[in-house]
Amino acid sequence: MDSAIPELATAGTLPSAAPAAASILGPGEVQIELEVNGERHELSVEPRVTLLDALRERLKLTGTKKGCDQGTCGACTVLVNDRAIDSCLTLAVMHVGDRITTIEGLASGEQLHPMQAAFVEHDGFQCGYCTPGQVLSAVALVREGRMTGDDAIREQMSGNICRCGAYENILAAVRDGARRMA
Amino acid sequence: MTKIGTSIPRPDAHDKVTGAALYPADLIREGMLHAKAVFAHRPSARILRIDASTALAMPGVRAVLTAADVPYNRFGLIETDQPLLCEDRVRFSGDRVALVVAQTPEAAAAGASAVKVEYEDLPVLTDPRDALEPDVPRVHEDRSNVLLHQKIRKGDVDAAFASADVVIEGEFSTGWQEHAYLQPDAGIAYWDEQERLVLETAGQWLHEDRRQIAAMFEMPEERVVIRYAKIGGAFGGREDLSLPPLVALAAWKLKVPVAMQWSREESIVGHHKRHPFFITSKWAAKRDGTILAAQTRLVADGGAYASTSAEVLKCATIFATGPYEIANVATDGIVCYTNNVPSGAFRGFGAPQAHFAAESMVTRLAHALGLDPVDVRRKNLYREGSIESTGLPLPAGVGAREVFERCLEEAREVLPVPLHNGAVSPLRRGIGIACGIKNVGYSFGFPEQATATVELEVTPVSIRSANVRIGTADVGQGAHLVLRQIAAEALDLDLERVRMITDDSSEAPNAGSASASRMTLMGGRAVKDACDQARRQWLAGEEPSATVQYRPPRTTPLDLETGEGTPNYCYGYVAQAAEVEVDVRTGLVRVVRVVSVHDVGRAINRRQVEGQIEGCLAQAIGFALTENFICRDGKVLTPYLSTYLLPTALDMPEIHPVIVEGADPNGPYGARGMAEMALVPFAGAVAAAVHDATGAWVSDLPMTPERVLHAIKESTKNRLVTPAMSS
Ligand code: FES
Ligand code: FES
Repeated sequence: MDSAIPELATAGTLPSAAPAAASILGPGEVQIELEVNGERHELSVEPRVTLLDALRERLKLTGTKKGCDQGTCGACTVLVNDRAIDSCLTLAVMHVGDRITTIEGLASGEQLHPMQAAFVEHDGFQCGYCTPGQVLSAVALVREGRMTGDDAIREQMSGNICRCGAYENILAAVRDGARRMA
Repeated sequence: MTKIGTSIPRPDAHDKVTGAALYPADLIREGMLHAKAVFAHRPSARILRIDASTALAMPGVRAVLTAADVPYNRFGLIETDQPLLCEDRVRFSGDRVALVVAQTPEAAAAGASAVKVEYEDLPVLTDPRDALEPDVPRVHEDRSNVLLHQKIRKGDVDAAFASADVVIEGEFSTGWQEHAYLQPDAGIAYWDEQERLVLETAGQWLHEDRRQIAAMFEMPEERVVIRYAKIGGAFGGREDLSLPPLVALAAWKLKVPVAMQWSREESIVGHHKRHPFFITSKWAAKRDGTILAAQTRLVADGGAYASTSAEVLKCATIFATGPYEIANVATDGIVCYTNNVPSGAFRGFGAPQAHFAAESMVTRLAHALGLDPVDVRRKNLYREGSIESTGLPLPAGVGAREVFERCLEEAREVLPVPLHNGAVSPLRRGIGIACGIKNVGYSFGFPEQATATVELEVTPVSIRSANVRIGTADVGQGAHLVLRQIAAEALDLDLERVRMITDDSSEAPNAGSASASRMTLMGGRAVKDACDQARRQWLAGEEPSATVQYRPPRTTPLDLETGEGTPNYCYGYVAQAAEVEVDVRTGLVRVVRVVSVHDVGRAINRRQVEGQIEGCLAQAIGFALTENFICRDGKVLTPYLSTYLLPTALDMPEIHPVIVEGADPNGPYGARGMAEMALVPFAGAVAAAVHDATGAWVSDLPMTPERVLHAIKESTKNRLVTPAMSS
């Protein structure tokens, strides 16, 4: 019976501060503290829980989407210390002490982040399911100074799939969002 | 007219950029149980025994449901031939044999892997062409493997072949295509205080989902409520019920709230695909370019269950001759059951596959005649009053020629004059053109209607606001905004004063599915008529509340042997020019520029129309080039997005969408549907462009690098052989 799909828990691509680096965690739940959108959250998770599941299921931050759980679609993109990563490819326990930003933490109150405003203005979506990931990837792209032209945007946003194919408008939004962020 | 024709932004834009928009999986709450399906993972077998005892003894597992728990264990959009949970027989690897319900998703998954099922494997039928043989195993014991054989006979093809100046033959194949809507299937179900079974999920047709689910649980329809959350794409993939009735079963049976979500792999294995087709064609023409005859045999793989196969097949059959008026036509469309993943609706609904062959044939015919493919198209394209292959004149509003001429004009502007590729460069460029036609709305006598209710809040001197009730799925295409714009226009109200009630089957009437490019025309017309009637009521001093059912002109079933009938009440027309670059060392094809011209009748929201053209082209690129779905011996070998390659931002060409507005006689403000059209001719345009670039015809989709390289090799080999001319 192979109906259960095994969970892929690959390590994240970033060097992150793991708690108590020398000790072995798990398999039971461990207490950790995560800083998400400027707030500290105490939670207890099994070490195998991905950052994505911790955000969605424990912290109820459902703005971060799951499209594949394997690092192939970009819907789960969040910022960790300002860099964009697939939150399905990293474990929650690896991010103690990191600054995590999800789509819910981007606007300041009612004031949309300039990149969000640009997506609204340019209709950078259809169904909207890829949008949180697209917006956060774009923000990271600009913050890291990798925005060197349309080709660079296409290349660096190519990890964020939009099945509705709103790429043209996403490109326009990223271009404009970068201007607004400057 | 100020509310329509403008690019008003989506009302849900703010929620979509802030993460506030709630999709089905976002509705899962603390305390709900979780359901997990046990998949068969084998294509053909008899179920001997299901032993749930180990699973039931596991911590957190609350129930293991099987076929015996489903009162009426059959469903389907056209035919009810699919069991919700298999009884004694498995017909494809994504069949579900049991449903485990547990306290956590982890417990449900563990429980599902502990359900022991004993199978006796049976012979597997995986090629629809074999399905036609007399002594192959039957997929459904009680019926033939041929789901439908639709013929079209017009004129006399044999006489035409005998008298023609040129006759050419071709063989084509197209692959499965996975919808890969980015939001994997999910939903929650529970009983509400009024003892109604409520299902909150994503779909394409509230009232049809309700009808099928009510039938499965033998409940009156009013006691089942379907509510759509935000829908993360659909593209035809949510037309058939896949996950929703499973979670509904768990809640119905256990009387507690239950949640369920599928992984990407479960979604890919568990729901239907675009039909693969095998097509053989023989076309004939006169020296002046008049197409005299088209003979086509299309064999489609319907997979294990009927889904919408019969309708898709009939559409492919009528579009086997593309948008051309041809005097002599013989078409045989055949769709068979196999033990592969079921095939059904996918944007384009049979038209892209049929057009790939037809458009390739037209271009090859022109080449064989030594004529320009543009001139051959001009000579044969449908015009107002043309007779379809099914024997009667086309519905009024034939834009085929207009979009074609506009496409040529635009292409002259934006595409370079055919480059003469330097023999030294491995990167060869080429340009191809193709045309397309696709029905808007349901065909072949399938009951077609849309109902809307409009309630006005009024003063003696003005209309203050309106409630528009219309049960429609906004799958991302923007249907709700378009309908709201139509209401605002009809009532001369600000958009903010029109309240849309659209997502609850108990609150809004049935407007049919968000499919077949029909919602702007059908739903829009119902809304407009209801607005007009409510306004008249108000002017007459009556209670301003109107419910209007719009029915378009009648269509009829096709005669099975001759194809005679009135297949459709409306068509959309499209023409495209594509420029490609082929790397002749690797066979990799890159689409550089595309001109896509559409007769949309009237663009209610121009930006959304352009968005549909661009988005549809992204999927067309997948269909033509990158999306290689592999199902071998009944097993899906590409169940992940790492092996099934969706187009990314890097794959997108420069797109020139052009909107032509030749009013439809029935559509609201002249609008007709358009959201599928860009997929229809695209693969044909790309194939012609690849030929232009390399001299090689690729006849199999997707045009993977391997296939392109192979075709280039073959064409170099055959370069000295002259094309076969007829006697
Ligand atoms: S869900 Fe993480 S990349 Fe798809
Ligand atoms: S908007 Fe639907 S996936 Fe991007």
